[in-house]
Amino acid sequence: MDLVNKKWSVDKLMSIRKEVLATWHTGKDVEDIEEGIKYQKALPKSKIFALKLLEAKEKGITLVQPRAGVALVNEHIALLQYLQNEGGADLLPSTIDSYTRQNRYEEAQKGIEESIKSGRSLLNGFPAVNHGLENCRRVVENVNVPVQVRHGTPDARLLAEITLAAGFTDYEGGGISYNIPYAKNVSLEKTIYDWQYVDRLIGFYYENGVIINREPFGPLTGTLVPPCISHAVAIVEAILAAEQGVHYLTLGYGQCGNLIQDVAALQTLQELSEEYLQKFGYENRHITTVFHQWMGGFPQDEAKAFGVISWGAATATLGKATKVIVKTPHEAMGIPTKEANAQGLKATKQLVNMLKDQTIPSSKELEEEKEIIKKETRAILDAILKIGEGDFAKGIVRGFEAGIIDIPFAPSRYNAGKILPARDNNGAIRLLDAGDLPFDKEILDYHKKKIQQRGDAEGREPSFQMVIDDIYAIGKGMLVGRPN
Amino acid sequence: MGNKTIVTGVIGADVHAVGNRIIEYAFTQAGFNVVNIGVLASQEEFIQAAIETGAVAILVSSLYGHGEIDCRGLREKCQEAGIGDIILYAGGNLVVGKQEWEPVKEKFLKMGFNRVYPPGTSPEEAIADLKRDLNIED
Repeated sequence: MDLVNKKWSVDKLMSIRKEVLATWHTGKDVEDIEEGIKYQKALPKSKIFALKLLEAKEKGITLVQPRAGVALVNEHIALLQYLQNEGGADLLPSTIDSYTRQNRYEEAQKGIEESIKSGRSLLNGFPAVNHGLENCRRVVENVNVPVQVRHGTPDARLLAEITLAAGFTDYEGGGISYNIPYAKNVSLEKTIYDWQYVDRLIGFYYENGVIINREPFGPLTGTLVPPCISHAVAIVEAILAAEQGVHYLTLGYGQCGNLIQDVAALQTLQELSEEYLQKFGYENRHITTVFHQWMGGFPQDEAKAFGVISWGAATATLGKATKVIVKTPHEAMGIPTKEANAQGLKATKQLVNMLKDQTIPSSKELEEEKEIIKKETRAILDAILKIGEGDFAKGIVRGFEAGIIDIPFAPSRYNAGKILPARDNNGAIRLLDAGDLPFDKEILDYHKKKIQQRGDAEGREPSFQMVIDDIYAIGKGMLVGRPN
Repeated sequence: MGNKTIVTGVIGADVHAVGNRIIEYAFTQAGFNVVNIGVLASQEEFIQAAIETGAVAILVSSLYGHGEIDCRGLREKCQEAGIGDIILYAGGNLVVGKQEWEPVKEKFLKMGFNRVYPPGTSPEEAIADLKRDLNIED
C-alpha cells in the first residue's frame, strides 16, 4: 500500500466498494449508490447538519448535542425523540456500540438478541450495520433535526456506506483520531487509507449535490491532551479529508478546564485550520468547531457532575464553539438513562442561553496562550510535513513513528507514548515531559517553568504521581490534583 | 514472600487505556509483578498470559458496559485450562447504565469472580484486598 495524500479516482473508490459491501450481509442493500444520493437529496433542509452548523456560526450561537445509542431500533428512536423534545437537543447523534466499532458484527448480533430477551440494552450503542439501511432510515425519518454518526471505528467504511445512504448527514472520526485512541494493533497506514475511502465517498456525494459534514474526533484520549496535540491531529485530518473532496468540516477540542486555555484553544483551532487549508490550496471549505465537555473522569455525585457539565457549557459558549457535546450526571457510572441525558442537555442549554451575548475580552493572558498554542501546533505540523517530504499522509505516519506527534495515554502501539501532561498552577495543561515533540528551547523552557511553579507551590518535585493526581482530580471535586 | 505475579487487562472490545495504565503503575509500586496485556483483551489472552507467567491472580477491567457479556464463562475457561483456582477480580463500569450495585456484584460473584469493584474504586483498595487474599504482609 503506497499511502499518499492524493485524491482517489472514482474507479478506485468503486472497485474497493465492492469488497467493503461484502463484509456483512446488510451491505448489499446499499449497492446502488445513486439510490442513496437520491434519498439524501430528498431530505428537508432542516436535516442537513452542515447547514444548521453554518447558520449557528453566523449567528454566533452554540448548538447542543448529546451522545446516545441503544441496541434496538424502536428504543433508539424513542431515546432520540425524548432528547429532542424533552432535552431540547439542537442536533442528534447515533452513538455506535463497541462491537460494531471493532467490526465484530456477530457479537453485535448476540447483543441485539440478548437485549430483546432481557428487555434492556446490553449494548453501549446503536449497532447500525446490523440493523441495516431501512432501519437506519427509520431513525432519520422519525426525528426533526440532523443526525450524526458518532462512534470510534478504525475501519468505518461499511458503517459509512449504510448510514450515509440512510440519510445521516454528519460523520465523526478519522484515520488518526479513530485509530490511536481506539485501537491497539491497527497500523496508521491502514486506518488513514480506510478513512480516505470514507472521505472520498463523502466527496463523491458532494460531487452529486449532497452535503455531508465531517468531524474529526477532537478529544482523542480525553486525558489531559494539550491543545497543540489535538489541534495538529484535527488539522492533518482536515487536510486529508479536504483532499478527498470533503467541503464541510467541524473540528473538535476537548475541555481542559482552564477557561483562558480553553477559549484560546477554540479560537486558534478555527484560525489555524483556515490558515492551513488555504495554504495548501483547499478553497471553499467551511470550518465550524465543536467543544466537548470534560472527557475525563467525573464525580459520582450528580450535583457535582452538573457543576462539571455547566463549566463546560459556559466555556463552550464563551469560546464561541459552533456546538457543544454534552455530558450527563451519570457519566461516572457509564451509559446514562434518557432522563439523565436530557438533564445534561437542559443544564447546558441554560448556560448557553445565559452567556450567548457575552464575550471574553482580549487580554494579555489570552493572547499569550493563543501565541503559545499556535507556535506549538505549527512546530508539530511543519515537522510532520518535513518528515513526510511534503505529504501529510506520509508525514503523519512517520511523525507518529518518530514521536514528533504523540498522544498521551493512548492504547495504540503505533503511538510513542512518551509525553506526560500535567496541570500548571492555574490548571492549564502543560508538559511535564515533552517526549520527542519538535519544540524549540523557548517552548520547552516555558513548560518547565509552568510545571515547576506548581511544584514549588505544592512543595513537591513534579513526577508521574502529579499526573495521576490530575487524572483523578475532577472526579474528586478539584481541577488541579494537589497533594493532601 | 510468595509469588506476586498478576495479569491485568481491559476485556472485550473496550479501549479504555487510562485506568489500565494506573493499575499497572499502582500494583507495580505496591511490589507486584504486573503482566499488563492492555486493552481489547480476550478471555483466552488473559488465561494464556496467566499460564505463561504463572500468575496468581487475574484482574479484569471493563469500562464500556459490555462487561456482563464479555466476562461470562471466564471462570469455566480457567478451569478447562487447568488454572481453576486462580484469583479473579473484576472492576469498572461493568454493566450498561447506572444500576444498583448489589445485584451487579452478585451477578459477577456468581460468574466466579472472587471480588468485584464498583466504578470509582481506588487501586489501593484492590491492592489491600489482594495482599489479604494472598496472605502477603506489608
